[in-house]
Amino acid sequence: MGNIANLTYVVLVSTLRMSVPLILASTGGAFSIRCGVSDLGCEGMMIAGAFFGMLGSYITGNPWLGLVTAMLFGAIFSMIHAVMHVTYRVNATISGMCVNLLGTAITPLLLQVIWGVRGKSAQVAAFSPLNLEWMKKIPAIGRMMAAQNIIFYLTIVLVVLGWMFLFKTTAGLRMRMVSENPQAASTVGINVTGYKYFGVMMSGIFCGLGGAYLSLGQMNMFIDGMTSGRGYIAVVINAFGRFSPLGALAGSIFFGFFDSLQTVFQGSVIPTQWMMMLPYILTLAVISVGLRKSRSPAGVGKYHE
Amino acid sequence: MREKMQQIKDTKAFQSLITSVIALVISLLLGAVIIWLSGYSPVESYKAILGFSLGTKKGIALSLSQATPIMFTGLAVAIAYKVRMINTGAEGQLYVGAMAAAVAGAYITFLPRAVHIPAAMFCGIMAGGLAALFVAFLKVRFGAGEVITSLMLNQVLILFTSYLANGPLKSEGSGLAQTEMILETAELTRLIPKTQLTTAVLIAVIAAFILHFILTRTTYGYEMKAIGLNVDAAKTAGIHVSRIYLRTFFISGAIAGLCGASMALGTNHRFVEGFSVNYGFAGISVAALAAYNPLGVILSAILFGVLKAGSITLNRTTPVPIEFVDVIQVLVVILVAAPTLIRALIKPFSLLVKGGK
Repeated sequence: MGNIANLTYVVLVSTLRMSVPLILASTGGAFSIRCGVSDLGCEGMMIAGAFFGMLGSYITGNPWLGLVTAMLFGAIFSMIHAVMHVTYRVNATISGMCVNLLGTAITPLLLQVIWGVRGKSAQVAAFSPLNLEWMKKIPAIGRMMAAQNIIFYLTIVLVVLGWMFLFKTTAGLRMRMVSENPQAASTVGINVTGYKYFGVMMSGIFCGLGGAYLSLGQMNMFIDGMTSGRGYIAVVINAFGRFSPLGALAGSIFFGFFDSLQTVFQGSVIPTQWMMMLPYILTLAVISVGLRKSRSPAGVGKYHE
Repeated sequence: MREKMQQIKDTKAFQSLITSVIALVISLLLGAVIIWLSGYSPVESYKAILGFSLGTKKGIALSLSQATPIMFTGLAVAIAYKVRMINTGAEGQLYVGAMAAAVAGAYITFLPRAVHIPAAMFCGIMAGGLAALFVAFLKVRFGAGEVITSLMLNQVLILFTSYLANGPLKSEGSGLAQTEMILETAELTRLIPKTQLTTAVLIAVIAAFILHFILTRTTYGYEMKAIGLNVDAAKTAGIHVSRIYLRTFFISGAIAGLCGASMALGTNHRFVEGFSVNYGFAGISVAALAAYNPLGVILSAILFGVLKAGSITLNRTTPVPIEFVDVIQVLVVILVAAPTLIRALIKPFSLLVKGGK
């Protein structure tokens, strides 16, 4: 009995840990789609966040300042996407992929230029699990909650705030209008380009944070290619979660759960690859056949005159 | 004569060529800055890169063999873009293509060389093509965007081939996740002995010419262009848009599958887990630099191959980071993809020149 309880604890703790970067990146993706711009650049913004978060913490010795740098550089990378797609009207898939390719190419280069090493950076100050005594005493979930670090709690707050902004404020409504019909939005006097830039920048900030969770939350260093496709998974989760931060939260926990199961099932009869495939197959089925509502807003990728 | 020159200058192909060249020059200059910032001499580094890649037999072989996989994926992306679809699934398609070809190469034992190679290639083509066809089917039937479904299918296919290479098809006694060696009758011929350069590069070039022919000389090519220009107008004109989508994506996936097959039959002689270093995604840059022109893809792939091969060698002798080539590659694409950006960048210079006169 104790064994099963312990296993459940391990799975739940690791589910939450695996989910955090996905939650942040897919919430960022929701901001991007909800201003009418494809969110395909998440991977590049994440890896930028992971690297520059580490660099910020390395230089200042303070992981909080690392988070700030990660957000800043996530935003800078997102601006490449915005300038190319919004201002110069490049196909959003191409400009998003450019951000991804740039991120994956420039981070190992900087690693080489700054430290002269390959593969991973030096160790930096990072965030550790809270391990608060009062928290551990909460029945059932206490131990699990205490095993998370502060970014986890920050993430939950940001997701709720993000959802409130998008669906409960006038600015959010205007932004969603831009994503549905930029021409109409422009006609009623909404600053379409401004909202698009804002939405993409928010996606960069969220993705940057998501990347920083990897280098400062899960680890205390940057490892080359450490996002390992999570940005693309976030794009998928975002579609799965119907482009809402709350949907992104649920979708990320779903994917995080399967991610953590593979560690449990390692060496058992079920091959881990099958476990990992399952969420993608389900999502593929849901998105293509099931929910008609998971279509992106009508105006994504469209321009106003 | 002057009129004719003007006509040439006005063509789209010529303008995109100019854009690509300018983008390339700017990117190489930025690359020089990167090398300089890393504390090395840009001139010496570029000299070393080109000297090796273009000056030695081994260098040419390495350049072309580095160019081959991205030439295939570049073509795959370019052809799909003709109907304004972006094949982000090339990565998954080349994995199944490699697996299918490796299995055909290892387990079909009775065929002579002249039949075995094409048969194994065909398996790779079909595997990649069908994977892409599935994505196009989801788009046509359910209206699901191909970019996201392709990304999901990538994960499924890569995991599936990984399962095969780790499980039922794992090479006996091998510590690595790889399939059995293919038979000698399925191995592609090496063009230069003791190098990785095989007939695969010729296959890629031929594929590019075939695609060029299809695009410029057939009704199908014309229909693709019509859809690319305006889907609604094409529909009104009676073009079966869905059918063209399905066919084009099948061809795109088939070429990506061929990429995997050529790696399995030519370079690795088996399926090796994780053999592709994002060749599928690199195809997007290659195609964008070539302005989605199949013949242009040959050139842009070779260009990146030359830079890559040179920097691999450079990296052995000097500590210039190899990654700067990847950065140059992306910068080129960013600049090419946004021609107006280039115009904005060179405007101050042209004003200066004109002002000087």
